Amino acid sequence: MKSYQIRLTLNGFEREESCESRTTLLDFIRHDLGSTGTHAGCEHGVCGACTVEVDGQIIRSCLMFACQADGAKVNTVEGLAQSGKLSDLQSAFKKHHALQCGFCTPGFLLSAEDLLKKNPYPTELEVRGGLSGNLCRCTGYVGIVEAVLEVAAARARQSGGEHA
Amino acid sequence: MKSAPFIMHQAQSQSNILDLLDKYGEDARIIAGGQTLIPVLAMRVASPDHLIDINKVEELKNFGVSGGVLQVGAGVRQSELENWSGLRKTQPLLSMMFPWIAHTPIRNRGTVCGSIAHADPSAELVLALAVLDGSVTLVSKKKKRVAQAKDFFRGALQTSRQSNEFIEAVQFPIRGPLAGFGFSEYGYRHGDFAVVAVAVIKEGDLWTIGFGGIDDVVKVYQCNAKSLDEANQFIDELAAKVEVREDPTATSGLRRHLMRTLGARACQQAAEFKSDEIR
Repeated sequence: MKSYQIRLTLNGFEREESCESRTTLLDFIRHDLGSTGTHAGCEHGVCGACTVEVDGQIIRSCLMFACQADGAKVNTVEGLAQSGKLSDLQSAFKKHHALQCGFCTPGFLLSAEDLLKKNPYPTELEVRGGLSGNLCRCTGYVGIVEAVLEVAAARARQSGGEHA
Repeated sequence: MKSAPFIMHQAQSQSNILDLLDKYGEDARIIAGGQTLIPVLAMRVASPDHLIDINKVEELKNFGVSGGVLQVGAGVRQSELENWSGLRKTQPLLSMMFPWIAHTPIRNRGTVCGSIAHADPSAELVLALAVLDGSVTLVSKKKKRVAQAKDFFRGALQTSRQSNEFIEAVQFPIRGPLAGFGFSEYGYRHGDFAVVAVAVIKEGDLWTIGFGGIDDVVKVYQCNAKSLDEANQFIDELAAKVEVREDPTATSGLRRHLMRTLGARACQQAAEFKSDEIR
């Protein structure tokens, strides 16, 4: 059954495991590679909890089969913290109570990082638009938006950007 | 929410795809972005024995302008086209629509041709192809043909594609520099399929108005109107008399109301259209 040999780079580490053709990238990361930071929510592309980055683009890992990710560079929420220290975005989520149960958080963090990469100076509306593919049932989104805006401003100050 | 087992074929070239389709026909499905197909498989609405993955076929990843049309190959992601700097000038309507199509992670993986192949009558790209009077290039091992949008879309999720045919590319005709475009949509959440979506192309006094979500296929109407009021009156009368779908998500009355309000908004946008002001 497990006839597909998949080799990919997960958060900078080369990993190799076998899986079935029907195994989604989400299940492969969680069950076969044991990285359970990425969460399985709706498993049909609605909730955004399983958002990961594949070759520089964020995608829904429940809407891609693992055998399609052979050779890809995959980054998940586990890759955000460096040497055990939370990233600025993760710290801001904590500070602004941008999570309660935490189920949606891995997806939000990946989507927010992608948003800030493409648009370092987002308005509140742009943050809300950029995160509209992720659902949160606890926070009402206010804390999440505040956290992302604060990080955007802090990063702009650090880089000495004129928008700061 | 797990797919039934299937055999995955990694196609390496277009001829490889055509051979596989010829061999497996109805038992096979093409998978490109898979943003519609994978949920369908996960819910076991469909369980094909074979999937043909076309993501590694480089020759399909091209799009460009030639002969007055924007041609988009089967491997082109929606976000690639969305982020193309020339899109606003060549196909303003698509540029207006992309933010309404699902969300960034979905557009990063979903393909333009995949959306057309799925033929959901409330999908934005299906509306665009219909209202622009575009076409679809289908190839099989034996022949190649081009189907006009109105002949290609047969019903909700129904197309004239044969089981051994592959959608190689779609063509969106480019309108003249004086054409005005408008687009308006209503859905229950941002990124959802539209309850009703309206696209308008204004060329002088000729208005081409397409409605998605009101029937099993996109409905396209044309009228001659000298003013915005005349165009709105045409839509008012249309909304009163045409057959409109009724389903648990919206009554036909709501859809008629949306035809009028969204139609008026899209017409106004088309009348005031300036190509450098989109978004």
